[in-house]
Amino acid sequence: MLGLLGTLDVSARSLAVQQEEMEISSQNLANVNNPAYADEQLVVTESTPLDTPFGQEGTGDQAISISSARDPLLDNQITAEASVTGSLSAQQTNLQYAEAYLDEQISSATSTAAPESSNGLAAGLSNLFASFQSLSTDPANLSLRQTAVQSAQQVAAQFNQVSAQLSTVQADLNTSVQNDVAASNQDLNAIATLNQQIVAAQASGGSADQLVDQRQQTLENLAGMVNISTTTESNGAVDVSIGGVTMVSGVNNTDSLQAYDPGNGQLLVRARNAGTPLTLTGGSIEGEITARDGALASLQSGLNTLASQLITQVNSLYSAGYDLNGNTGQDLFTGTDASTIGVNSNVANDPSQFQAAGVAGAAGDNTVALALAQLGNQNIAGLNNQTFSANYSQTVSDLGNSISSVNDQLNSSQAVTQMLSNECASTSGVSLDTEMTNLIQYQKAYEASAEMITTLNEMLQTLVAMKTT
Amino acid sequence: MQVSTTSFTSNFLYQLSQLESQQATLQNEATTGLQVSLPEDNPAVMDQVLNLQSEDSANTQYQNNISQLQASANTASDTLNSLQSLVEQAGEIATQAGGITSSTQLSTYATQVGQLIQEALQLANTRDANGNYIFGGTNTANPPFAATTDSSGNVTSVTYSGNTSVASSEIAPGLTVTAQSLGENNTGSGPDGVFADSRTGANIFSDLISLQQNLASGNTSAITSTVSPALTKDEDNVVSQISGNAVLQSTLEAAGNVATQKGTNLATQMSNDTNADLAQTLTKLDQTQTAYQAALESGAMIMQLSLMNFLA
Repeated sequence: MLGLLGTLDVSARSLAVQQEEMEISSQNLANVNNPAYADEQLVVTESTPLDTPFGQEGTGDQAISISSARDPLLDNQITAEASVTGSLSAQQTNLQYAEAYLDEQISSATSTAAPESSNGLAAGLSNLFASFQSLSTDPANLSLRQTAVQSAQQVAAQFNQVSAQLSTVQADLNTSVQNDVAASNQDLNAIATLNQQIVAAQASGGSADQLVDQRQQTLENLAGMVNISTTTESNGAVDVSIGGVTMVSGVNNTDSLQAYDPGNGQLLVRARNAGTPLTLTGGSIEGEITARDGALASLQSGLNTLASQLITQVNSLYSAGYDLNGNTGQDLFTGTDASTIGVNSNVANDPSQFQAAGVAGAAGDNTVALALAQLGNQNIAGLNNQTFSANYSQTVSDLGNSISSVNDQLNSSQAVTQMLSNECASTSGVSLDTEMTNLIQYQKAYEASAEMITTLNEMLQTLVAMKTT
Repeated sequence: MQVSTTSFTSNFLYQLSQLESQQATLQNEATTGLQVSLPEDNPAVMDQVLNLQSEDSANTQYQNNISQLQASANTASDTLNSLQSLVEQAGEIATQAGGITSSTQLSTYATQVGQLIQEALQLANTRDANGNYIFGGTNTANPPFAATTDSSGNVTSVTYSGNTSVASSEIAPGLTVTAQSLGENNTGSGPDGVFADSRTGANIFSDLISLQQNLASGNTSAITSTVSPALTKDEDNVVSQISGNAVLQSTLEAAGNVATQKGTNLATQMSNDTNADLAQTLTKLDQTQTAYQAALESGAMIMQLSLMNFLA
């Protein structure tokens, strides 16, 4: 038997529990729009029962702890997917820059003309060989010579420009790698600090849900930059390792990332203390490195090969020719690759020096001009037996393939992320409807307990009044 | 499954953004009429279009080459026709001279032939619209024929300073033709010379000069026996040049037709590769818009609803 006072005590505890429930609900409602927040619940059990002659009798309820609805498996999957998305979107952005710089965009100038890409190198190369063709029909014509020289200058300028822009993208990527490495190190440090606070909080029996939410958010942020693997220790701390090197062990931030130059100026990442180069498989750092050393590097080298073949092939024909003054032996193109290609300044200043003839003293001889014109249709051994135009088209479509595959992967990765976050929200998310319904429930329970106390009070008063009468 | 309040909005926004991007793509297709514009849209088509484009540019250039060569061929044709009638005139004089004994008459003929020689010289040093001498082979910058005159102003010899090579230009992939002519070719190989050629035995200037000299000296028997047959050979040579020119012109015309047709085909092919099927695009756009509208309406409806509206 609890007696009147004991029952009063049960009701008082009940009031406290309902109040606590209301507090948790208000916390949940306050965080309804916080995506990092995991729905919290008060764990309530019956309090220790009393043995009575009639058997065990309940003594009300008590709040034991606040639990947070987190699914560690889902959290891990979300973290892993963040690495995939991070890598792909870094690749997408930078490859699309390269695509824009190539400026090969199909458009219809007029509704009747065939759609074509008229600004890029493809059109530049076509114009160059067309101008050689024109020159071959009237090799002494100064304005045709001028056109041929201008076309050559334009192709050279296009090569220079694209090459410089691609180098800028690559340089920017190196800067991004450095920035992401710095940001990752901050996150690693933050995780170690949060581990420390969580371990301390849990050791003293308290709940560290807010800290865990915060740590999960930091882990997701970190995973977006670099792929991590995590292990949760029994004391609540999370160990983080990157590429097999432990970065956070319990409460200690044991190692950090470092961007280093392997010798070619293209930054890679290693563990600062362990010194081991890290092979990354996800995250924006990996995406930046992949874009830089993959599609961008092959685009850059494709353009360099094309430019160097253009220089050698054109020059070997051209240098054997004679200009209008009977001089020979000059080159048309200077330089060695896409970044350095240029047009010999002598011929640029004086188109009569264009060496179009195969012999001296025959202004109408077009041997070299014709050979240059026909070069445009020739398969060049140094270009995988493709013509200049076909080789360039191939380079462009290779880049297109890289971007299109990244686009597809990114789309599916975004869909997976969306699916996982839905899944996660259904376990951890706050539902307004649920909270509002709970609120009513708690309110009614509170009212009932309060009513109980009023009743008990009346009963006690009745009891006390017995004495006075 | 519990639907949390944030997941409802994030789902709603994700679906809207998917529909919006689909809509934007279709809208872009509908306004440009193109389903491929960037390499990433369809790398294979981009590759094909760039190749077709380069082929098309080369084809257009072949058409330019053809009209340039046609202009040269026309100039040559006009000149050759004038030359033929000139040689014919000289032949007539030679024939008539055989039956004439009057020295006055003969010297009148001699004067006429002198004029023909001057005319022939002018024809031999014809320049095309671009200022190139058309009968000097590839030596187009200098007058190919120069005359030496005696004290009375009669031409005694004509020397050829052009060369014996011609320049060819492409009119189709791998197909080259020339519109240049040689004034003189005594090498026994290469294209025939128009004014003199060792293989056909033609030598217009030498024959005209000898006609004039024989007329002046009254040597009509030499005219009949040697000059007249020589002039016939000269005329035959010019006629063969004229027919060669006609062949060139018809080759150019045929190549021009082929190139025009090819240009149309290439344009069609590029359009086929890149053009969006408008009926399909618009239908899809319509569908997407309907879906977008439905998403917006249902979203707006559900978001208005809240349990709180019903709790007093």
